[in-house]
Amino acid sequence: MMAATFKCPPTTGLHGWGIDASTPRSSRNFVRFYSMRFACNTRYDKLHHVHASISHASFVDPTSLSVSHESSIESTLILIRHGESLWNEKNLFTGCCDVPLTKRGVEEAIEAGKRITYIPVDMIFTSALIRAQMTAMLAMTQHHQKKVPIIIHNESEEATTWTQVYSDKTTKQSIPVITAWELNERMYGELQGLNKQETAERYGHEKVHEWRRSFDIPPPKGESLEMCSKRAVAYFKDFIEPQLKSGKHVMVAAHGNSLRSIIMYLERLTSQEVTSLELSTGIPLLYIYKEGKFMNRGSPVGPTEAGVYAYTQSLSVYRQQLDEMSPCE
Amino acid sequence: MAAGVYNQAIGAFQSHSLVNNFNHQQKFNNIGRLVVTKDFISSNCLSRKNFSVIQCIASQTSEVDTASSSSRSKTSARDTHTKSNEAALILVRHGESLWNEKNLFTGCVDVPLSKKGIDEAIEAGKRISSIPVDLIFTSALIRAQMTAMLAMTQHRRRKVPIIVHNESEQAREWSQIFGEDTRKHSIPVITAWQLNERMYGGLQGLNKLQTAERYGKEKVHEWRRSYSIPPPNGESLEMCAERAVAYFRDQIEPQLLSGKNIMISAHGNSLRSIIMYLDKLTSQEVISLELSTGIPMLYIFKEGRFIRRGSPIGPTEAGVYAYTRRLALYRQRLDDVLQ
Repeated sequence: MMAATFKCPPTTGLHGWGIDASTPRSSRNFVRFYSMRFACNTRYDKLHHVHASISHASFVDPTSLSVSHESSIESTLILIRHGESLWNEKNLFTGCCDVPLTKRGVEEAIEAGKRITYIPVDMIFTSALIRAQMTAMLAMTQHHQKKVPIIIHNESEEATTWTQVYSDKTTKQSIPVITAWELNERMYGELQGLNKQETAERYGHEKVHEWRRSFDIPPPKGESLEMCSKRAVAYFKDFIEPQLKSGKHVMVAAHGNSLRSIIMYLERLTSQEVTSLELSTGIPLLYIYKEGKFMNRGSPVGPTEAGVYAYTQSLSVYRQQLDEMSPCE
Repeated sequence: MAAGVYNQAIGAFQSHSLVNNFNHQQKFNNIGRLVVTKDFISSNCLSRKNFSVIQCIASQTSEVDTASSSSRSKTSARDTHTKSNEAALILVRHGESLWNEKNLFTGCVDVPLSKKGIDEAIEAGKRISSIPVDLIFTSALIRAQMTAMLAMTQHRRRKVPIIVHNESEQAREWSQIFGEDTRKHSIPVITAWQLNERMYGGLQGLNKLQTAERYGKEKVHEWRRSYSIPPPNGESLEMCAERAVAYFRDQIEPQLLSGKNIMISAHGNSLRSIIMYLDKLTSQEVISLELSTGIPMLYIFKEGRFIRRGSPIGPTEAGVYAYTRRLALYRQRLDDVLQ
């Protein structure tokens, strides 16, 4: 399993990814801390353990657990690629066929959940495919805050009426889950359901390689990565980014190609770079959205990995508040 | 969820070739095969009071004729189903949801399973791992869909459940499967809002205490125990039964008639409604019917009748048995193939 690789290969230095030189030195009177840990292939000798001062009154609001700074709004974005599906296991091209997770995929989802258990989530976006939705739901069973993800139904008037909730208290304890086909896996056209062998036989090795590695050449009746990016990034900009802007913490559970497309946008990658981008399954990626910019924060540490740290002051405070709070009902 | 289709009658769905494609010959045993067992665990999952467990001994001659004719003609398993005119129907009620855990009225609010519900689904899957499944129906709610998917990860036949998408032309096109072999190893999963939980209207999201406070204890008792009185802006059990049974008769029963083995993963009230139809219960009887969560119930559909077969035993429970000769053969084939 490889951790996400981006244009700059991770250095083995302490800071690895995501330290933005552009972020101004903090003028606040607390120490800035961070930690970058990739899931499997880099090791850190030391971790900075920093204490955040909890002098900001705005933090101390147990029900909303707002993560706002005095100076600007900061929100977290978690990206999770679903784990192994039944067709992954059989080495078949899946695309938009709605195939569920294997036992292993179920475990991967739960593992992913353990990694993000202390990161706030206000809203969840998933694709229209069950493997991504299950991944989100399974992951959230591990979440510290114990809010209840609820899928929003807007297919029709009746659907909206039928799914209405009549208690404010319950609504406050809910996390809306929005499903969107625009976040679906790249549609693989006539390759859907074929295995690699069959496909190479039917179309020839070079052609297959071209479809898999190119940016803008679609398989027969399918989407190119470019086409997939168009709809995924458009959706992200129209629906997800405004939420982040307003301070909502968002989790996106989707697929290899739709997430690559989004990361291409977040990190401003070229089409060359994005085609060689590999995303680990079931390992969540964390971004911090602040002042219109996305900061890559790598992958949250698993529960068995040692390290007391936080990504930002706000997240550290959030975590501390969770620890102090009694479980909310 | 895009997979759930509200307000749309699910007409002819995309039917891929669903042949139970065993590559080896069907065995034919002519002597001394145990066909039916009395070891049903029916009483565990249903209220005993108003139920008589129908213990039906499948008639030996008709079973043997069926098997022999199929062996002679060496037709595909699908033809066997038609000839034998017998199909298995599995009903699974989803396990604990996050709102069950918090004691809130859920209804049609799309709440997922809790950790316990996930375990229950997997357990249910182990119990049905040797019972053939050709087609799956679920509600439009994720807790029933997850239950079906988790259960099928345990199935020994290892076919792949695939949700059928008919919401739009694009959805249909985009979810098309190519590859003959792949199609043969797929189990179509059809999602239907008609199998949803009873819609609880103004009670959705409230807990029992809040509800009693807001409406009064007697009123609440009435809604929960009556057949035809709906909660405010909600459905009565009668209304739920109407849409669920209509769907069952229009969409599911024809499939059983053609010999397809079916699993339905749904909710307490929609399943009760269906059982009311299968077992011909009165409205009085159905109100006191309790369905265990995560314990599958098996019916054999044969010659237009539904024969209740209780609950398949779990893997840790001892017992070598089969419900009917046909199911025994199916299980044996699995044992032989999946050494």
